[in-house]
Amino acid sequence: MEKLYVNEIRPNGEVSTVGLFYSPKEAEGIVKKLQELREKKSCKYEITETPPRSAAITPRREKQAQAEK
Amino acid sequence: MRGTTPRREQGMADPVLASMVHAIGLETAQHYTAATPKIKAYRDRWAELAKFRDGPVNPQRVEVTDPVEMAKQIKTKAIELGANMVGICRLQPHMIDLGEDVPHEYVIVACVAEDYEKVLHGANAVEEEAMRTYAKCTEIATELATYVRNLGYPALAHHNGGSAVQAIPIFYQVGFGELGRHGSLINEKYGASFRPGFVTTDLPLAEDKPREFGVQDFCMNCNVCQLNCPGDAIPKDHVITHGIKRWLIDLEKCYPYSRLRDEYCHLCVDVCPYNVKHHPETYKTFMKERKQVGYKTPKSW
Repeated sequence: MEKLYVNEIRPNGEVSTVGLFYSPKEAEGIVKKLQELREKKSCKYEITETPPRSAAITPRREKQAQAEK
Repeated sequence: MRGTTPRREQGMADPVLASMVHAIGLETAQHYTAATPKIKAYRDRWAELAKFRDGPVNPQRVEVTDPVEMAKQIKTKAIELGANMVGICRLQPHMIDLGEDVPHEYVIVACVAEDYEKVLHGANAVEEEAMRTYAKCTEIATELATYVRNLGYPALAHHNGGSAVQAIPIFYQVGFGELGRHGSLINEKYGASFRPGFVTTDLPLAEDKPREFGVQDFCMNCNVCQLNCPGDAIPKDHVITHGIKRWLIDLEKCYPYSRLRDEYCHLCVDVCPYNVKHHPETYKTFMKERKQVGYKTPKSW
C-alpha cells in the first residue's frame, strides 16, 4: 500500500503532521475536509511520501514552566 | 465546537483493514470472529449503553460558585464509580473528531487501569482484560454523565459505544503523561495499560494541566517496543503534531498481528519499561520469557 503523510503548514511556517494515510484518495479526502473548516482557512496542506524532517520543539522544561504559569 | 483531528474508521469500516482482509479472501478480520464469549459480552455491554450517552437535564440547576470544588466533587464521584485516574480540561478543536460538532466547554476523562499481571497469561487474557476495562469505562462515563445532568448541566458520555473525542490529546492536556514511541500515552504509574471513558459538559470545572516527566526523552533512546514489535510497525523516526513528538504506527504492518490473527497483540504496551515500576516481578518474568525466544529486553537485564 502507498504510504502518504498529510502535513499542515501554518501561517507562521510551523509544520504539524496530521497523520499517515494509505491511499491518495484517503489523504486527499482528509485535506478536503480540513480545508472546509473556517479555522483552518489560513493553513496549507501537503501530501508527502516521506515523513517531514523532525522540527525543533520546545524543550520539555520550558513547556513545563509554561504550563505551570 | 467543530473537531479538527481525523479519526481512522474502526473495524471493517477502516479501508486499510478491509482491503487487507479482502485480499486474503475473508469477509471480516479473524480477530473479530474469534472473540471469546467474555469479549463478546463486554462488547455487547458498551453497545447496550450507547443509547444512554445523552439524556434529560435537570431543570433545577445547581449553581457552581467554586469550579475547583466542583472538579473535586466530580473526580471523587468518578473514583467512587471505579476510575483509577480522572482529569479535566477545556475542550479544544484538536481533541474532537474531524467534522464532529461537540457543543460543550469541558471534557472529563476517567481511566481504568488494566491488570498488567494478565500479560503472563497470553494474548487472549490481555484482550479480555482490555475489553473488560473498556466496558467498565463505558459504565463510568454513562453514570458520570447522568450525575452531571442531574446537577442541571448538559453532559454527553463518549466511549466505545460512541464517541466524538480523541483520547491522546485529552490525556496529554489533563496531565496523565506523554505520548510514547508505541503510539499510546504513558503514565508514570500505569504505563500505557489503561483505558478511558469521557464526558463532555458545560458544568464549570477547574482544569488540570499538562505534566511531563521525561517519557519522550526516554523513548528517544529506548527502542524496546520497536524491537519487540512482531510486525516492525513502530517507526524509528518521529514526526511533530501540535508541537509534540509523535511516532506514527504503520497499520499495514501492525494489522497482520493485531487484526488478522485469532489472538490479539498488545506487545508494544506490555514490553514498555514504564511497566516495571509498579509491576517489577511480573515485568521481569515476562521480559525474561521474551528474551529466551530471542526478543530484546531493556539494557542491563
